[in-house]
Amino acid sequence: MVYLQLPKLKRERLIVLTGKEAVLISISSLIVAFIIFSGFLMLEGATPTEAYGHIFTFAFDPKLGLSTTLHRGFFILFSTLAFIVPMSAGLWNIGMEGQFYLGTIGAFAVAYSLPNLDPALLIPLMITSGALFGAGYGALAGFLRGKLNVNEVVATLMLNNIAFWLVYLLTVGGPWAGIAESTSRPLPASARAPIIWNTTFTSFLAIGIAILLYIFLKYSSLGYQIRVLGNSSVAAKHIGISAPKITILVMSIGGAIAGAAGYHMWAGDPAFYMIPRPEAYKAIGDLTYWGILIGLVCLLNSLAAIPFTVFIGSILVGSTVLVRRLRLPFGLDVLFLGVISLTFVAFQFFHNYRIRRIRRE
Amino acid sequence: MKADAPILEVRGITKRFPGGVVALDHVDLEIRPGEIHAVLGENGAGKTTLMNILFGVLQPDEGEIYINGRRVRFRSPLDAMNMGIGMVHQIRKLIPAHTVLENIILGHPKTESIINLKKAREEVKALCEKYGFNIDLDARVWQLSAGEQQVVEILRALYRGAKILILDEPTTVLTPSEVESFLNSMKAMTKEEIATIPFVTHKLPEVFAVCDRITVLRRGKVVKRLGTKEATMKALAEYMVGREVLFKLEKPKVEIGEEILRVENLSALSDKGVLALKGVSFSIREGEIFGIAGIAGNGQQELAEVIAGLRKPLGGRIIFQGRDITNASVLERMKMGIGYIPPERLGVGAIGNFSLVENILMSIYFDHEFSSKGFLSYKKIREYAKKIISEFEVVAPSIDTKAAHLSGGNLQRLILGRVIPRTSKLLIANSPTVGLDIAATEAVRNRILKCKERGMGVLLISEDLDEVLELSDSIAPIYEGRFVRILSAVEAKKEVVGAMMAGALSGGG
Repeated sequence: MVYLQLPKLKRERLIVLTGKEAVLISISSLIVAFIIFSGFLMLEGATPTEAYGHIFTFAFDPKLGLSTTLHRGFFILFSTLAFIVPMSAGLWNIGMEGQFYLGTIGAFAVAYSLPNLDPALLIPLMITSGALFGAGYGALAGFLRGKLNVNEVVATLMLNNIAFWLVYLLTVGGPWAGIAESTSRPLPASARAPIIWNTTFTSFLAIGIAILLYIFLKYSSLGYQIRVLGNSSVAAKHIGISAPKITILVMSIGGAIAGAAGYHMWAGDPAFYMIPRPEAYKAIGDLTYWGILIGLVCLLNSLAAIPFTVFIGSILVGSTVLVRRLRLPFGLDVLFLGVISLTFVAFQFFHNYRIRRIRRE
Repeated sequence: MKADAPILEVRGITKRFPGGVVALDHVDLEIRPGEIHAVLGENGAGKTTLMNILFGVLQPDEGEIYINGRRVRFRSPLDAMNMGIGMVHQIRKLIPAHTVLENIILGHPKTESIINLKKAREEVKALCEKYGFNIDLDARVWQLSAGEQQVVEILRALYRGAKILILDEPTTVLTPSEVESFLNSMKAMTKEEIATIPFVTHKLPEVFAVCDRITVLRRGKVVKRLGTKEATMKALAEYMVGREVLFKLEKPKVEIGEEILRVENLSALSDKGVLALKGVSFSIREGEIFGIAGIAGNGQQELAEVIAGLRKPLGGRIIFQGRDITNASVLERMKMGIGYIPPERLGVGAIGNFSLVENILMSIYFDHEFSSKGFLSYKKIREYAKKIISEFEVVAPSIDTKAAHLSGGNLQRLILGRVIPRTSKLLIANSPTVGLDIAATEAVRNRILKCKERGMGVLLISEDLDEVLELSDSIAPIYEGRFVRILSAVEAKKEVVGAMMAGALSGGG
């Protein structure tokens, strides 16, 4: 008798994923992350519910963590949007970090050369300059990809490294070096970002960009062309869409948004008002990579990205209490973020597949 | 007919897919040793699902499979292969850079870490002689024609000791001359008690000529089981479609007008950088269907792409309505009234992840009638899309359905609906009916004739010789990048054009 046992579970490929399914998948991935991290907390002798309580009460307390939560969250929103635009055209922008550094350079160059300008003029000028610097840097990768077919992941990653050292050259012993070792000179007071409702006004700028992008991608003719290219470059070619043109365009838009974050980051948090030490600005630069994850989790929907980025901001800020308040081992806060990012990545599986049970006969 | 016990028996196979689609509904099938048993059905009839179940790719929800009277369950194709089932896919599963022999012995249980090529060669050679396959075992697979690649797949299955051979649309890739030798090989196999099960949608007559019995599937059910002797072509087509089928199309009488397109000495490279199109000249006039008949890979794809603006020509000129458009962009050509129907549907002609509206938008996104200040006027676009969907009889739950959910025939209707109304002068239809079932093929052909009626010029490219002969006013068989000749519909005889396609009459013939 030939008898081959059937497997119990089966993987099925999904043709189309709806928005509702995507929301369910992200919520379940978060639940799993919280469960996994609870294990680590218990291993260290903490009560998970208590720890989570501490994390969120700290992160959202207006007197304690709220302003930093929003500031970091919206910083991540900038890089998420900078990722979403090129990704809509099928391009992986891994260069938000470098574009952000270039934006920093652009913004600070204006502030240092025109310190006495009226804030109403200086601040928009700084943001614009940062955006232009970022856009140029993105366009460079876009040109390499669009005209010379250089892989954009490799190009943007390498450009990140160059940008890091450019900032280093300017700050550590460079023309922008401050009195303190290896940081920049402080920003002039006129360059500081006005605070509205516990956060810098640039947070609202990020929300505004998210809304505009949503409309742009969904309803504009150019946005449509971007999406066609993102779905099928062959189809795009067949209906006369110029891939090089769109490639350079989306990389420039992405770069501009990441560049604008250069102002948001350093001029929006009173703890900075300058470019900090290299390891500190590198740590901030590393936050831009959350943009990739959140962009993918949100299926490139820029409005859906808003709550996600604020949530990550709250974990980022709130989890520090694990170490400071609950006296848990150092690094547990970073571990939490790591667990969340891993479950996000793992649950991407469900964007493509469905698991179905098969009856055993 | 042989009276032996069945070698393969399928009882009550049912397969449901998510979303409540019943692909197979209690299907029974009985195959005797050495029998040629054709399974007929349109696209969507469940042929592919049945094939995949027989070969262990899918597992049935209900029903049993017996081989030589023993119940079997296939967990994977490997199980099926070990039970003597071989499959010849329509999409080749071969390694192009390897030789024929290497492909045949690949994955064979006898092939160990040290390959005994000499012994394998003798065994494969013996197989070739036995069944009358004529193939160079040292040729690289990429050098072979589609028909020869199919032979490699058959040999691979036979070398593994297959007693039951499943063939997916075996005759579609063959040239008329190849068909005959293929059918002879099939007959030779039956003498060795090897049962073959060709699954067929198109090209009924060829299979009809050799098979013993026929099972007809429609919408997942067996609608008819009959011996070849009792069947007629027309009746079979009716069982497949479920209604009477008119095989004859009415060619409209259209006055052939002025010249629309003139192509002069056009040449182009293929994607591999090989000279694929070697100096082709012709012209198309208003109301004329110019048919290019050829086996895939003879330069017709490159020709279509050059005229549509997708590929840069190496030399020559394209004159459209008296204007040199050799260097015009795709978009400029679209705006001039040139439309292109590509051979691949999903991912090229249509985007699966896009709704029907967004797909139709592909041909009008640049038109100021449907946008203002850079923003799309979705209200107008949706109305237009609704009109197109009903006019072109695209069957879909709503205009917001994703194109990925459409069947092949509906998808092609959608693509025609997107392209044809925006095309005023010249339609390039590249393999417009490939892979479509009878009903959809009929609809597509009628659309093309309607374009002719509207006074458009049509460049029709097809591997299906009957289609080209039936629709075209002028016929150009293409072989190795050159037109063998340009014939008028009256003087084009099927045998002659078929021989020209196969290269028999090229070069002065």
